[in-house]
Amino acid sequence: MENPLAIKTIKVPTVVRMTASDRIFALMVDSFLVVLFFIIAIPLWSTITLSFRPNHFIGTNFEGMFLVPWKWSTAAYKALLGNQGFLMAFWNSIRIMVMGVASALFLTIPLSYSLSIKSLPGRTLLVVIVLIPHMFDVGMIPSFLMVKDLGLIDHLAAVFLPTAVTTYNCLIMKGFFEGIPDELKESARIDGASELYLLMKIIIPLSKPIIMSVGLFYAVSFWNDFFHPMLYLNSHDLIPLPILLRNILMASGMNEFVEVSAFGEAPVQAIKAASVFLAAIPMIIAYPFIQKYFAKGTLLGSVKG
Amino acid sequence: MKTELTERTRSSKLWRDIKRHKAIYLLLVIPMTYFFLFKYIPIWNGQIAFRNFMPRKGVLGSPWVGLANFTEFFESFYFWELLRNTVMYSVGKLLISVPLSIILAVFIYECRRPHLRRIVQTLTYLPHFLSWVIMYGILLVLLAPGDGLLNDIIKFFGGKRLDFLTNVNAFPWVVLFSDAWKEMGWGAIIFIAALMAIDPTLFEAAMVEGANSWQRVRYITLPSIRPVIIMVVLLRLGTILSGGFNQLYMLYSPSVFSVGDIIDTWVFRGLQEGKFALATAVGMFKGVMGLILIVVSNRLTKRASGSSLY
Amino acid sequence: MKKTLVMLLVLLAVLMTAPVFAAGTVETAKPAAPIDIDLWYGAAITEAGPPPSDWVGYQIVKDKLNINLKITALPSNEADQDVKISAAAAADNLPDIFMVRRETWLRLAGQGMLATVDDMYAKMPIRTKVQYDADSIGFTTIDGKSYGLASPGSIAKNEGVLIRKDWLDKLGLAVPKTTAEFMNVMKAFTYNDPDGNGKNDTYGYGAFIEINNYEEGLGRRLDPWFGAFGVAGTWNLTKADFGLNVRKSAYYDAMAYIKSMLDEGVMDPNWLSYKKDDFRAAWKQGRFGIMREQNAAFAAQSNYAPFDKNFPKGEWIIVEPPMGPTGKASVGVYTQAYRIYALSDKVTAAEKDAIARLLEWMSSDEGYFLLGWGVEGVNYTLKDGIPVATGVPNAEYAFTGAKGQPVTQLRNMVFYNGQVELISRYPTYKAEVSGRTMSALDVLFEMQKKAWTPNIGGDTLPPPSTDLKRFYEQGVAEFLTGRRVLTKANWDAWVAEFDKLGGKAWEDTAREKAIANGLLR
Repeated sequence: MENPLAIKTIKVPTVVRMTASDRIFALMVDSFLVVLFFIIAIPLWSTITLSFRPNHFIGTNFEGMFLVPWKWSTAAYKALLGNQGFLMAFWNSIRIMVMGVASALFLTIPLSYSLSIKSLPGRTLLVVIVLIPHMFDVGMIPSFLMVKDLGLIDHLAAVFLPTAVTTYNCLIMKGFFEGIPDELKESARIDGASELYLLMKIIIPLSKPIIMSVGLFYAVSFWNDFFHPMLYLNSHDLIPLPILLRNILMASGMNEFVEVSAFGEAPVQAIKAASVFLAAIPMIIAYPFIQKYFAKGTLLGSVKG
Repeated sequence: MKTELTERTRSSKLWRDIKRHKAIYLLLVIPMTYFFLFKYIPIWNGQIAFRNFMPRKGVLGSPWVGLANFTEFFESFYFWELLRNTVMYSVGKLLISVPLSIILAVFIYECRRPHLRRIVQTLTYLPHFLSWVIMYGILLVLLAPGDGLLNDIIKFFGGKRLDFLTNVNAFPWVVLFSDAWKEMGWGAIIFIAALMAIDPTLFEAAMVEGANSWQRVRYITLPSIRPVIIMVVLLRLGTILSGGFNQLYMLYSPSVFSVGDIIDTWVFRGLQEGKFALATAVGMFKGVMGLILIVVSNRLTKRASGSSLY
Repeated sequence: MKKTLVMLLVLLAVLMTAPVFAAGTVETAKPAAPIDIDLWYGAAITEAGPPPSDWVGYQIVKDKLNINLKITALPSNEADQDVKISAAAAADNLPDIFMVRRETWLRLAGQGMLATVDDMYAKMPIRTKVQYDADSIGFTTIDGKSYGLASPGSIAKNEGVLIRKDWLDKLGLAVPKTTAEFMNVMKAFTYNDPDGNGKNDTYGYGAFIEINNYEEGLGRRLDPWFGAFGVAGTWNLTKADFGLNVRKSAYYDAMAYIKSMLDEGVMDPNWLSYKKDDFRAAWKQGRFGIMREQNAAFAAQSNYAPFDKNFPKGEWIIVEPPMGPTGKASVGVYTQAYRIYALSDKVTAAEKDAIARLLEWMSSDEGYFLLGWGVEGVNYTLKDGIPVATGVPNAEYAFTGAKGQPVTQLRNMVFYNGQVELISRYPTYKAEVSGRTMSALDVLFEMQKKAWTPNIGGDTLPPPSTDLKRFYEQGVAEFLTGRRVLTKANWDAWVAEFDKLGGKAWEDTAREKAIANGLLR
């Protein structure tokens, strides 16, 4: 981890020559990624230009993609950012995400670790207990009754606690913990380390890529969640960003009822597109920081050392 | 240690194992309480699937109606078609999006150009954040029968315009490939994380022995992420009867109902009429099917490869 | 000196506590502490927040009506509102009074979750006069008891058939009247380059699928064509010929006409893929020359502005709907839309009284203007008796401004489509680029003059089952996309299958209901 931002590359021993088939392989890899780049980038670009499109633009969407930046209009972003409730909704989203990820990892890591111990009596039963809710989605009413009985209606906890552990993330993490060489754990146990010490000092540091990935999965799901806040929150002071954005989109689409231009120069499609980017920005910014934990051979040093 | 073990009876070994892991059980208390409260109380409440749920009477006080809610689903005019469509999309995505995610992860791992690798990794991650509302807009730009980009190209080469979004033959492919486009980078994250755990000395050894790139991928890279691949596939099989509600609800229209209507969209239209118990019943049915599938496929993979979910 | 100081202090203390005692005595004279009322409302401006906690309305309601009002905005989208209310109902957690859509309301009433409100009308004479007429009360009456208060919703007959006058003029065509003339105009609009841009990029007719329970099948945007054959809307509500339009032979003729529009290529081919926003963006881009559109969506300032900027010489006119071979014509069906506010049946008699007091006050002059526009001189000024947003000291606090909007969130609880509202809501303005004088209100009045098919109560008839609804929508769409070949024999076979799947039974139950409720004319 000398350079944390760069993913470590494989050190090709100089004695081994690149063969023709290696070159073909490298060429294939590169061209696949380049082609993919364009396949992803072009529609994405058209959406970005759409978010900057002025109200009076005439032309097809194809022509819209070539709209020069000095003709772009930021009206859609202004309309969204200028909303009175934007900051508070943003703050609520942050709160939900931080508390959500914290409780999610607090619950998921010990659970996954316990399930990864093959010698644990009753392990299969525990895995089945974790697995069943993955398949049984009993719908809205049974969950709502639970949240109400726990007295969580109109509390932020109602938004993040019901989804704080997902079976998918838990079992994926368990799979990674199982991949950690047994000799590491055993040597620590023989040294008299407690399970908690083992988890905190050995397992977690060794599992950064997966903890980061799972943390990201949780963060994104909390950040994007619209349904639970809509269902469980009543107070306007608690609403998160997805609800506010939905309310704004709703208003911009209700042309029949908008008697005074609430959105100035921004067409509905631009507001829709802009709202997506605004909402995604924190997650987009966060990604490179998570990528830096994706360094090759994370396990290497510890096993050898 | 070994002699000591053989002297003891099995039950006392079990007891010893339990005692040895008491710290672990302690660690499990909070997560299990959580599961009980937030996952199993709703499942318990799910018994409204067998009742005529009346809010005033509560879950336990509502009268039993047996399987009435289930038969409403099974006797739907469209039952088999819904089942077929749902499985078609689940399996289709499993066969297209998941392999693409794996290929992407491996290629990002193998790529020797750090800039290309970083750019593609970040870029492929972005579409996950586009909602299906926006995705529909993108698809209209590309595929609209009147002025879609793809149709302009088809016309340019002398072809006939195609109504991709409203044609029953084209629609399923639009669904499958738009999902792949949106989710492949997101799906690759987990495989990239798995690749990071591979011991690089394996590659060094392989290269000293003269293995080429193809052989390294074939004999080192893919086998070492096989457990993760199996896990992901098994977990997806568990939800095989959810074909992607948000996507289809946004993309389908009456002219492609016959290939676009899945169980969840059908239930949603019923929900709009207040059929909550029906939704719960269908959820139960999907759960049982998923459970059977996961148990069977887990047994098969265990026999074939030794990896197991539990 | 010190003594006098002490005396003064004592005097001061007595003086200061006196009002407290006085207030205390008044308090004991009052019957009870303020009554808490929990209200879930449909926000008038969904992107703005609720009235601030120091809103003058709360204080007035507390002082005058002895009510502690707590309000919560429902989600902005109707489907989400249903979900939220249904979930609250399932947990027996409904607020005292809440807005609810009819389908959900009907279900809650069936479950016994709603209070009857028959006794409330008499306690609210002013409000009942402007908001609740016999039709409105009938809308919420089940077996002779009223389970909700239905206020007038959107205005009836507020849509019309619009045609590009400038295109007609350019091509030297007269305003079409019959379906045949319309077809000729649509062909010319498609193939004769009406906008003169040299590109073959225009179409005759534009639409999208917009379905309501009383506008099944292809939905309201195509209803003028069905109207030409006398089969607009889901139901025929005449005494002579009651029934589902789709089961009538004229429906096939209308389908054949629409199919010919598609075969001739005069319909914007994106019509099946468009959603509302795409459709509206398309006419502002000048893609088609004939459409059915809503008055404000067409003519309100912010909606018309892009079109005005793109086509300063462009002009839409409202025309009579196309007349079919037997002389029938109709823009579509209309019904009276209502907004239902229902009461949880857990409200006590005192709470119910308080709600009646609250609603009656809302419809008083004070409440009407306060909830509709805010405080005079702060949020609005009066011009010829009409509240306007101009002339207020701080434009941000005008009822249209960012800080003024929250205080008008409850306005849909007091508005009844009266003259003052309409003029205030749809002011006349001059379009920015063309300078054309526009008024969504004039457009509305003109639209209401065109031929329409009355369908009052059509929206209260039972909906089809989920499967039947799909069969219906899918079938008509497939006949038009060509997946099913539109011939009389195929059509009859499809209708027979429709009947088998419950179509006939649906019609029969609806007939009973329609007769029982006196909906047939």
